[in-house]
Amino acid sequence: MPGLTSGLNIALSGLQAQQAALNVVGQNIANVNTPGYTRQRADLTSNQSQVEGQVYYGTGVSLTDIQGIRDKYLDLQIYRESAKLAGANERDSGVAGISTTVGDTSSTGVAAQIQAFFQGFQDLAGQPENDALRTNVIGKAQTMITGLQSRYSLLDDQRNSADQAVGSLVTEVNTITSQIAQLNQQVMTEVSPGSNNDARDQRKALTDKLAGLVGINVVEGSKGEYQITLDTGAAVLVSGNSSYQLQTSPGGAALDNHLRVNAVMGSTTVDVTTGIKDGQLGGKLDLRDNILVGFQRQLDQLAAGVARQVNQLHRTGYAADGVTTGNDFFQSGVANGATGLPTSVTATTFYKGMVNALTVNAAIVANPSLIAAAGVAGAKGDNSQAAAIAGVETSTSTVDTNGDGIPDSGPFDTVVGSLVSDIGTQSQTYSTQGTTQQNLVSALQTQRDSISGVDLNEEAANMMNLQRGYQASARFLSVINQLTDQLVNQFGK
Amino acid sequence: MTIRTPSTSQTQQTILDLERTQSRLAQNQTRISTGNRLTSPGEDPAASASILELGSSIQANTQYLKQADTAMGYLSSSEDIVSASISDVERLQELATQALGTTNTAATRSAEAYEVDSLRTHLLGLANTQVQGKYIFAGTQTLGTAAHPLPFEDAAPPAGPINYWGNSGSIDLAVTATTKVSTNIPGNTVFFGAGGQGSSSDVFQAVTDLRDGLNTNNVALITSASANLQTSLNSLIKSQTDLGGRQAGLLNLKDTLSSFNVTLQGMQSNQQDTDYAKSITEYSNDQIAQTATLNVLGRTNKTNLFDYLA
Repeated sequence: MPGLTSGLNIALSGLQAQQAALNVVGQNIANVNTPGYTRQRADLTSNQSQVEGQVYYGTGVSLTDIQGIRDKYLDLQIYRESAKLAGANERDSGVAGISTTVGDTSSTGVAAQIQAFFQGFQDLAGQPENDALRTNVIGKAQTMITGLQSRYSLLDDQRNSADQAVGSLVTEVNTITSQIAQLNQQVMTEVSPGSNNDARDQRKALTDKLAGLVGINVVEGSKGEYQITLDTGAAVLVSGNSSYQLQTSPGGAALDNHLRVNAVMGSTTVDVTTGIKDGQLGGKLDLRDNILVGFQRQLDQLAAGVARQVNQLHRTGYAADGVTTGNDFFQSGVANGATGLPTSVTATTFYKGMVNALTVNAAIVANPSLIAAAGVAGAKGDNSQAAAIAGVETSTSTVDTNGDGIPDSGPFDTVVGSLVSDIGTQSQTYSTQGTTQQNLVSALQTQRDSISGVDLNEEAANMMNLQRGYQASARFLSVINQLTDQLVNQFGK
Repeated sequence: MTIRTPSTSQTQQTILDLERTQSRLAQNQTRISTGNRLTSPGEDPAASASILELGSSIQANTQYLKQADTAMGYLSSSEDIVSASISDVERLQELATQALGTTNTAATRSAEAYEVDSLRTHLLGLANTQVQGKYIFAGTQTLGTAAHPLPFEDAAPPAGPINYWGNSGSIDLAVTATTKVSTNIPGNTVFFGAGGQGSSSDVFQAVTDLRDGLNTNNVALITSASANLQTSLNSLIKSQTDLGGRQAGLLNLKDTLSSFNVTLQGMQSNQQDTDYAKSITEYSNDQIAQTATLNVLGRTNKTNLFDYLA
């Protein structure tokens, strides 16, 4: 049968265990607002019994483990979905930033300006003798050109700002992946599996952050280490205790002189510019290299359509003197090719650069009487060419939209309409995607919080229990003490 | 089963919801203040494209209306001139009939010749009428040429003949995407008629003959001139009818275009304009939701066990 000393030990173990468990409660309460913190639970276990004959006597309690309450699969899912959320948000804000200007449907929009230009020719057809109407056509053309170019350069600005973000995002990604690799090392060498809660929590918070920056896939290895790859699987970012850096290098003409993103894996360098789908970085790259380029291409095609149709008619008409012919209305510097477009602009590149090359022929600006309103030589009152040019506006097959060199579209306003609807649809898609993804991530986070989050009520109740346990152990200690006193000091008096 | 609702997740969801309410409030505020239902094309891409295309159709129709007005301007000026010419020719016929009376003498006839000559000058002036700086009876040669600045010139004044230096070009204006209207009627058609210069339908030839017949007391010449005046009068009336018919057609077209525009504007407004009742209702609903959420958020912090611990 255990003696009084044994009772003292039981009381002591009780005091120590309750106190240690109270510390865990304290830790939980202290971290109630810490991002990524996982609540901890103190596992109390009764000590090995002492056997005497047939009887097993308890020997008190000890705290055997402090466990983080987590669902690792949920974590992995949240990383993936957060990356998609960041990607959708990035695209949404990028497209929203240009949508009201490029997709302007009012009288200041591209469509209205193109229409005003052709109506300038229509007005001129009403009175081809009138010099003021000729100047008006040039003014309208210049307004249209400025309208197209300002939108084009807005898209350029957005692409450049996305490009600037790419550099700083890559640096941020590298900092985080190297930290994750270090934490992986700590997790892999923990004393018992799952015991290094703080390293895991820090790693989770960092991976959450990383997922916001770049699309990732995370797999947990057998030792609890994270294996992180890009979302397309194009490169490994973290493997065990080593991390692989991303770096940027000049992308040259293929990327419009924007940055290329490479993954450096040991001695091999892989181009991953197209290998990142989501996260801020994926969103920025997509905006820079695909989405905004698509809008620019439509503007280029539109400008090429206007220039080609107008020039082809204009060069066969006659100026106000009834003699001069063969002039192009739109011409910058050197003479245009047979299609009426600058030779540097070709169908195979989808008329890239056309918007910036669109200029009213300097000779016509200097001398508006060179505008070819007449279709026959020597007749100053003839308006047939001005009327024909004005008629281009409503004719079909004005713009080559598939790059085969043959105009295949509807009238200009339909082409602008489809640009506007394209911008609108993309903006709507990304905004819906962002909302859906936000809902999903919130739901997952709520689920994670319901498992791992700190509930102050729960902690308060635990604290009361532990406090009472501590008080009772102390009382028990005091009783044993009294008994010992009885035995040692009072016995036999 | 009870679901653990940790302290932080309660507030996180509420904050997210508040943010969404806030952005809807801002959106409806923009709708109400701008009067536009769509604050960006992303809200309704199909409607945005259709607003744009409707707007462009309205603008095109407005331009066609303007073109029709321009055409009307030229046509009605031409008609005015033609009808003034008709009055002149009618007066000339009266004079011819008078001159053929048996009581006339060489002296009375040559006295009439003065009026005939002044009518001839007047007719020539009418044929050379300018509207907004251009000759309206010159085909497309509206500014004349260096050699012949006027469309109608007396070759050897006052003997004649009166030559036409314009052309028979037609100045067409588009009044719909597919319809064109000719805004002029070439001078040779009006004043020389179907037979051309020197023929029985050439009004200048007839009036010159009448004047010369009166001056020389040549009754046969006066008789043939009188008959020719009738032919040219018919030709002028034909031109007048033509011009009038074109104007009537344009008036019809203008009516159609205007009422079509009203329809289009209605359609565009349906897509584009703020539904105030809807926006204001949504706005008040969101405002209530926002106030309620903020109230509840304030209270959740008070329901905590720690408040009850001594």
